[in-house]
Amino acid sequence: MGESNMDSLIKALLEGDAKVAASQAGALVSSGVSIERIVTEGVESAMGTLDAKCTLEQFNLLEIMLVGRAVTEVMKQLFPTGADPSGIKGTVVIATLEGDVHDLGKNILKMVLTGNGFRVVDCGKDCPLDRLLDTVEREKPVAVAISGLIATVVPEVRQVKERLADRGLGHIGVVAGGAVLKQSSSERLNVDYVAESAFDGARYICGILKGTKA
Amino acid sequence: MNSLERVVAAIRFEKPDRLPVIAQVFGHAASVSGVDLDAYVQDGELVARCQMNALQKYRYDAVFAVMDVNVETEALGSQLRYRKGQYPVIERYAFSKETDLGSRPVPDPSQAGRMPEMLKSLRLLRRELGDECLIVGCVLGPLTLASQLLGAEGALYMAIDEPERLESLIDFSAEVITRFGLAQIDAGAHLPIVFDPFASPAVVPHQFFREFELPRLKRTFETFRAAGAAASWLHIAGPTQSILPFYEEAGVDIANFDYQVTPEEAKGNLPRTCLDGNIKSLTFVEGTPEEIRGQASLLVQSFAMRGGFILSSGCEIPPESRQENVTAMVEASAR
Repeated sequence: MGESNMDSLIKALLEGDAKVAASQAGALVSSGVSIERIVTEGVESAMGTLDAKCTLEQFNLLEIMLVGRAVTEVMKQLFPTGADPSGIKGTVVIATLEGDVHDLGKNILKMVLTGNGFRVVDCGKDCPLDRLLDTVEREKPVAVAISGLIATVVPEVRQVKERLADRGLGHIGVVAGGAVLKQSSSERLNVDYVAESAFDGARYICGILKGTKA
Repeated sequence: MNSLERVVAAIRFEKPDRLPVIAQVFGHAASVSGVDLDAYVQDGELVARCQMNALQKYRYDAVFAVMDVNVETEALGSQLRYRKGQYPVIERYAFSKETDLGSRPVPDPSQAGRMPEMLKSLRLLRRELGDECLIVGCVLGPLTLASQLLGAEGALYMAIDEPERLESLIDFSAEVITRFGLAQIDAGAHLPIVFDPFASPAVVPHQFFREFELPRLKRTFETFRAAGAAASWLHIAGPTQSILPFYEEAGVDIANFDYQVTPEEAKGNLPRTCLDGNIKSLTFVEGTPEEIRGQASLLVQSFAMRGGFILSSGCEIPPESRQENVTAMVEASAR
């Protein structure tokens, strides 16, 4: 019963059917499957399939958003209000920095990270650098991810790593992505990694986690 | 040859006296003149003056009466926040899922929001430049305007949840931009560029472009041409390989291509269409003149035999770009 429901959950997620996905997740919980298994074998497996499908040539944001919406519903089912899913993989703090109000890319990353079992603390768009740093200090995340669509934010992005180091948080990985930032390089932006896509960024952050645990 | 003749020659695949070069200088014109960007985007006279100053400084082949991407949505009731030295941002979208489109009139460009200021800048530029230099107005693509009215995610989810409703919204958006574009031509624009970032395959699949955007773009360009537009110029950034094959059907005469598309891909998909591109925008901010010269030189070589090319950036030259980098691109066109 567990296995077939897990397959149905994956299928519903990949079809972006939020209602069916949430009800399959509920059925799995009722049949005694652990939440951790549902996330790792169900949700993460669906995200892995989507990742493999979304090559640079066949990128489909709409599909990702639909899967993301279904993942959000499943997570709500698994972690009702008040529960904290951070035990699964850890926390990632994400933001679009001050001056940039384009948050579609950031929101996509949030969906992908959530689907990969991370707890995501979203500092929102147009976020002042100090607010991001305060959040990182409070949350002690696995990584910080910054999305940027306009060139105005480049000088702020360049400061993140150094300003984190000033607070003794220089060991926290900093990932940049988004239409403008991905035209640059990790050296020029002074970050640890420049992601080509949300999936690429999530893979890098998963890599940090493995390194931390090793 | 003057600038306008040079660009027209490139569109017709005739041999210009030198390679035309169009720097996509919008807000950067304000920084060239030492004017605050927030003041620039609200004042048609400033736009015209700064564009003239930038033209005199750089000597490229087109000026742009472009303020920002929020002119249409503001005219329809979205609330913007103007920030010192920056482009304005949308604070509250004009429409929601529940908005009755029938109750919303198409705005009158002579009165609504900043539309009159943009028209003023076109009148001033045309008076100043006549037919010496290409004078470019700007409208958003229908899909992009829909996303500026509802918010990006709202528009995308509507595409799935209520596709007919989104289609109505795109039709409404097409009416808005058609009226605005015609007013721009009337005010002196040689053409309104259609700026359509939301139609990029980075956002929607190419099938979506084909079904929703292509027929509306085609009608829009036909209307502009009938009103005297010198050419149909479509600007979609990002990895556009999968939608380039539809441009010919849309009636596109000049196709912008971004750095994510190689010249070979662009030429292969659009053998009979004038192309403009594709130097990386961010290189103008953080790169050096040598890097610009390197990217420009590859482009010049790639199009040397074919023609039908305008040297340009892949997208906007950001306001904070280094002036020596823009100069380096312009100089590369004369080599």
